[in-house]
Amino acid sequence: MNCLDYRRALLTGEGETEAMHAHRLQCAVCGALLSEHGTFEDELRRALEVPVPGGLEDRLLGPILARHRAGPARRPGRRRFVAAAAAAAVVAAGAGLYAWIGRNDPVAMASIEFVMKEEAKSIMMGTIPRAEAARALADSLPIERMELIGEIRHVRPCPFNGGTAYHVVLTAPQDKITLLVMPDAHLAARGRAVHEGLYADVIPLRKGSVGIVGTSPAVVESVAGALRS
Amino acid sequence: MTEPKPDSGFEEVVKAYAGDLYRYAFWLARDRQLAEDVIQEALLRGWRGFAGLRDRAAAKGWLFSIVRNEFRRVIAKNAPYADAIDVAEVEVADEHGALLGLEMRDALRALPAPYADPLALQVLGGFSCAEIAAMLETSEGAVMTRLTRARQSLKRLIAPGAASERRGGRS
Repeated sequence: MNCLDYRRALLTGEGETEAMHAHRLQCAVCGALLSEHGTFEDELRRALEVPVPGGLEDRLLGPILARHRAGPARRPGRRRFVAAAAAAAVVAAGAGLYAWIGRNDPVAMASIEFVMKEEAKSIMMGTIPRAEAARALADSLPIERMELIGEIRHVRPCPFNGGTAYHVVLTAPQDKITLLVMPDAHLAARGRAVHEGLYADVIPLRKGSVGIVGTSPAVVESVAGALRS
Repeated sequence: MTEPKPDSGFEEVVKAYAGDLYRYAFWLARDRQLAEDVIQEALLRGWRGFAGLRDRAAAKGWLFSIVRNEFRRVIAKNAPYADAIDVAEVEVADEHGALLGLEMRDALRALPAPYADPLALQVLGGFSCAEIAAMLETSEGAVMTRLTRARQSLKRLIAPGAASERRGGRS
């Protein structure tokens, strides 16, 4: 085993094999790497271990035990889930969320896919200077208008949906919002999509269009309203 | 299907793994309420099938798989659900910085699902690459590639300066 093999094996997270151990004993660089990697793994575990809500076990087991007590004819657990879904539907209806249900618009869906697969890459490549972003977006979605919604954290042109979009990350008070401003993509109508916990709304602009993606339908809708106004 | 008796051991299994199942569901859904709903329904399904589980030592992997399948089923239904509770915030080192100092948890949120899923199974569930491959119905090599890329992406997303600051600033 050489250093490259050792590093590759370490990144799989499978733990140190005998061959890795033997290499590390002879290589100070890989020894230091293991120590650094251990710190990373500790941090990763802490981040993944999100707090568990209080009383979770009781809430999970309650319906099951109640169901057993009631016999096979009654299904309180199922009813609880259905009741919860119904309650969520009422809340959703109140918030106008039913508008999100239905066929996913392809451009809105592509916006969600971008956030899931390409956003991190774009962020890692760095933001472009504000003046450059202001010039590029002046005719479609002026930066000043976006700044009314939240703080602009990142702007970068990216290949998107067969053309180019300006990927903008905004921190609004309620949520992180991703915008994909497409200066050359003209839309006839608004489109929406919901996928993997993300909501996307694509709206036409004076010139071009913009995809808005966030984790909250209410926030996405409110940003869409603000950008249209 | 025969439903198990209360003393069948299902309650103990749930108590042992509820926390990790919830965390796994959270990283699939990235939404606390949906994660809890998914587990609730997954455990009801699990309870109904528990009597038929021959190898009780495999209960943990079996439950994780049910949670994953239940999440996929819920998503496929395209149902509306409550807003996400946690807000992802992107931290920027400076306006023109080449790298952004993402917190590890934010970096995890930015990780695409095909990478986050096996990573959560490995770190939270303690499953081997071979076990994860069986759960995801893919090859062990593919799992190793995804895990490697997941860690590479996370390392790139968290700037070293920001990481040391975090360690000093948080307990």
